[in-house]
Amino acid sequence: MTIYLFYFLSFLAILCGLMVVLEKNPVHSVLYLIITFFAIAGHYILLNAQFLAVVHVIVYAGAIMVLFLFVIMLLNLNKETEPHKTNLVKFAAVISAGLLLVVLVAALRGTESLPSPSTINADMGLVKNLGKVLFNQFLLPFETASLLFLAAMVGAVMLGKRDIK
Amino acid sequence: MKTLYILTALGVIAMLAELFRFKKFLLPIVLIGLMGAIASSVRDWNTNIHYYNYMMTFDNYAILFTIVLCVTAFLWFMMSKDFFGSESSKTDHYALVLFALCGAMLMVSYSNMVMLFLGIEILSIPMYVLAGSNKDSLASNEASLKYFLMGAFATGFLLFGITMIYGATGTFDLRSIGITLKSPELIQVWRGAGGTTLLYSGILMMLIGLCFKISAVPFHFWAPDVYTGAPTPVTAFMATIVKTAAFAAFLRLFITCFSGLGNVWMNTIWVLAGLTILLGNITAVYQTSVKRMLAYSSISHAGYMLLAILAMNNHSVGSVLFYAAAYSVATIGAFTVLSIIEKNFELASVDSFSGLAKKNPLLAFAMTISMLSLAGIPPLAGFFGKYYIFTSALQSGYVWLVLIAVLGSLIGVYYYFRMIIKMFSSGTGEVTNIEISTLQKIVLVITILLSILLGIFPDMVISLL
Repeated sequence: MTIYLFYFLSFLAILCGLMVVLEKNPVHSVLYLIITFFAIAGHYILLNAQFLAVVHVIVYAGAIMVLFLFVIMLLNLNKETEPHKTNLVKFAAVISAGLLLVVLVAALRGTESLPSPSTINADMGLVKNLGKVLFNQFLLPFETASLLFLAAMVGAVMLGKRDIK
Repeated sequence: MKTLYILTALGVIAMLAELFRFKKFLLPIVLIGLMGAIASSVRDWNTNIHYYNYMMTFDNYAILFTIVLCVTAFLWFMMSKDFFGSESSKTDHYALVLFALCGAMLMVSYSNMVMLFLGIEILSIPMYVLAGSNKDSLASNEASLKYFLMGAFATGFLLFGITMIYGATGTFDLRSIGITLKSPELIQVWRGAGGTTLLYSGILMMLIGLCFKISAVPFHFWAPDVYTGAPTPVTAFMATIVKTAAFAAFLRLFITCFSGLGNVWMNTIWVLAGLTILLGNITAVYQTSVKRMLAYSSISHAGYMLLAILAMNNHSVGSVLFYAAAYSVATIGAFTVLSIIEKNFELASVDSFSGLAKKNPLLAFAMTISMLSLAGIPPLAGFFGKYYIFTSALQSGYVWLVLIAVLGSLIGVYYYFRMIIKMFSSGTGEVTNIEISTLQKIVLVITILLSILLGIFPDMVISLL
């Protein structure tokens, strides 16, 4: 049962991922992206990582996508305003991205027979366990992240406010 | 750790200054706070304390780099008083710079991949904003957007690399990864199972992400535009503090984690270093704008420092530290002069410096010392920086690369000397009125003294590590 679900979600994620790139209309692209995010959230649940799945849906499919749509509608990108790229650039991009794909596929293929590096708790993704790790072992990164958000917030306010002369 | 607390507190105080109306006293407060930060790091000397499950380690390496960062920041705050001139966003600028400094500090003292990532982000996000802080200028906006997009892309590579290494080793902790990767039996088991590809691609991805941050050559395209577009003091910050922190992070990662797997990444860095030195220096020759020339010269200096990472012997840490210190001091000096000259010109070209020696000897002298130090002329600090790096690379047997580096330095001498000759020539002198504030004068004198002192007594720094 789970394996069929896995295949279905993977198919959905890859198909919608392709559609994001191939679709001409940016609003449709964003809508496909939302489906991709939901499919990936499904994968997280299959991996027993509920917290990650919920956060993924809230942050990516919720907040970031709204922002995306908002910006697209505000900028009125429906017309084709994108500058035309030369064939040479396209060719170079395809080659380098293709090489990266080969490397990644090779890297992931090798992991099938890899000995498990350490005992990994299968229930790690549950909120309770994650919270324990976050507030014990990873307390400092958790607190330091607040510094990052504070800096980002100050930056946004600075860029947004009008200079009083 | 106290240093980090002090810097964070300074950032918050800078924000409160707006509310409680003590903006006028902010600069003295920040300067005193930075001195306190330096003092508190000196007190931690030789203690080697780990914090919070090995998230950060304050060994002597971290302390020395923190001191270099704080001293550079101290000089930077003094030189860029005008940058904080506009009343409405003065406190924001202070807060952002101080937070960026916190990020730089995390990057030199991390011992966990998560802290590395957070440090890079805390450093980068204020820099993206500050690059665009001149809101009326189109170039500044472009710089900010370009830096942000490219930076976010590079961070993606870095994160992907971290995940792959986590997948291969099962840990984020630098020590554990280092121990795992140094045991040949384990590598053998992996190779048998075909699992090393995961690890190797992880290392290469992290390499790409970090090479972007230090602007090594195939990943340098953002640097000239961003350096030129950003306000000059911000460029000075990027060329000194960001670069020093990125190199310290780079070296720490590769020495603790990947030194056992040299055959995987050393060839890559060899090519990167050679290309960076040659391309940076050759392109710098063709620049007319001084700011752009300094941008390319900072790219080429990243190439020299890559040599020390490649050498990976017990001299490389000391030589990177010394080079970073010498380079930062000289660059701060050069940018101070540039920012003073730029009051007269929108984009100062080499020609705008003609006849400066007659108009203002102090400026010309400071610029000359900075240029000579960057070019690596003895007995200034830059010469010994290059000398130590080249020796440590030669000891590890990189003769050809050192030859390329020497060739690059010779090209460098050409464009640095072009500046000096212009200043001392009897030009028409387009510079009309030069106003130097007392603080800037102090900075110029300090950079001159430091460049000479570090050159005469290089052992003082290099023997510390």
